[in-house]
Amino acid sequence: MSEIYQLPLFGILITLLAFHFSKKIGSKWKFVLFNPVLLSVISIICFLVVFEIEFEAYNVGGQYLGFLLGPTVVALGVLFYEKYEQIKENIIPFVSAVIIGGTMSIISVCSLAIILGASEPIVRSIAPKSVTTPIALEIANTIGGVPYIAAGIVIAVGIFGNAFGPAILRVLGIKSKNAIGAALGTAAHGIGTARALDEGKLPGAYGGLAMCINGLLTAIITPYLVNLFLS
Amino acid sequence: MFKGVLYIFLFLILGEVIVYLFNLSIAGNIIGMVAIFIALKLKVIKLQEVKAASDQFIKYMVLFFIPYGVGLMTFYDILKLHWIAIVVSTVISTILTLYVTGIILQKFGKNE
Repeated sequence: MSEIYQLPLFGILITLLAFHFSKKIGSKWKFVLFNPVLLSVISIICFLVVFEIEFEAYNVGGQYLGFLLGPTVVALGVLFYEKYEQIKENIIPFVSAVIIGGTMSIISVCSLAIILGASEPIVRSIAPKSVTTPIALEIANTIGGVPYIAAGIVIAVGIFGNAFGPAILRVLGIKSKNAIGAALGTAAHGIGTARALDEGKLPGAYGGLAMCINGLLTAIITPYLVNLFLS
Repeated sequence: MFKGVLYIFLFLILGEVIVYLFNLSIAGNIIGMVAIFIALKLKVIKLQEVKAASDQFIKYMVLFFIPYGVGLMTFYDILKLHWIAIVVSTVISTILTLYVTGIILQKFGKNE
């Protein structure tokens, strides 16, 4: 029986099944924790733990799906080009907002984590917490963090931003829908952008473009910023 | 659609080659992302040639990072040790990032 788990097919099939049913549950009940990624990850982990299957066996197949994140990052460049046309008129304040917000994200999360006593690999893994998962994985890899931890934190941040972002922003006095969209894309990447789309098409475009710009910015500056904190 | 997939992989490889040649500390796919944007901007390639393929990749992006999320299980012990630092720092930092980005654009941008 255990040979079956070693086939690439096993990891791929269980991921597709988990994703399919998680999406069904997510569209049936509108509840923030019924996010398809979160549900899929939790159900697969439970399955592996219950049947005592090693992560390595699952990942024989899982890595093939993970590999597709590489071309997905390139596809973000196409998205970037498309959205760029829509918000040209606001480009300077918008890009400034994303750059300052994105830089604040790295500085604040690293300094807080260090103050609270997190170990160095943890700090290096959570530094890219606000950018889209495929880019965060690459950054974590480059700066000596743990990609799996980075992925988990990034997904959690996205769900947090998606669930509470607009409410937090409104309480803090941010009423402009475009500003809400940009903030969600900068702080909570694609999962936040999904929520920005609920605010409207244009806020969704702001979110998508903010995600791309912050991803690029974070990829460039994180190696230097992290070394300022940990040297 | 096929042409679009081909282009995306070509730009991915281009990014990897640039990283290798110039010994950069940025991932090849991120360079590929910038390169395809520039190619579109300079009209080297057309949006409709790559749009269908890129939309598919983006549509299923969340599926591709599920295996990495599952990989968290192997770090249970480390996470158990550091979870307070992780949760507190990410929550505060996320709220700060949301606010800073939002307030700047609201103050200085043109809004509807």
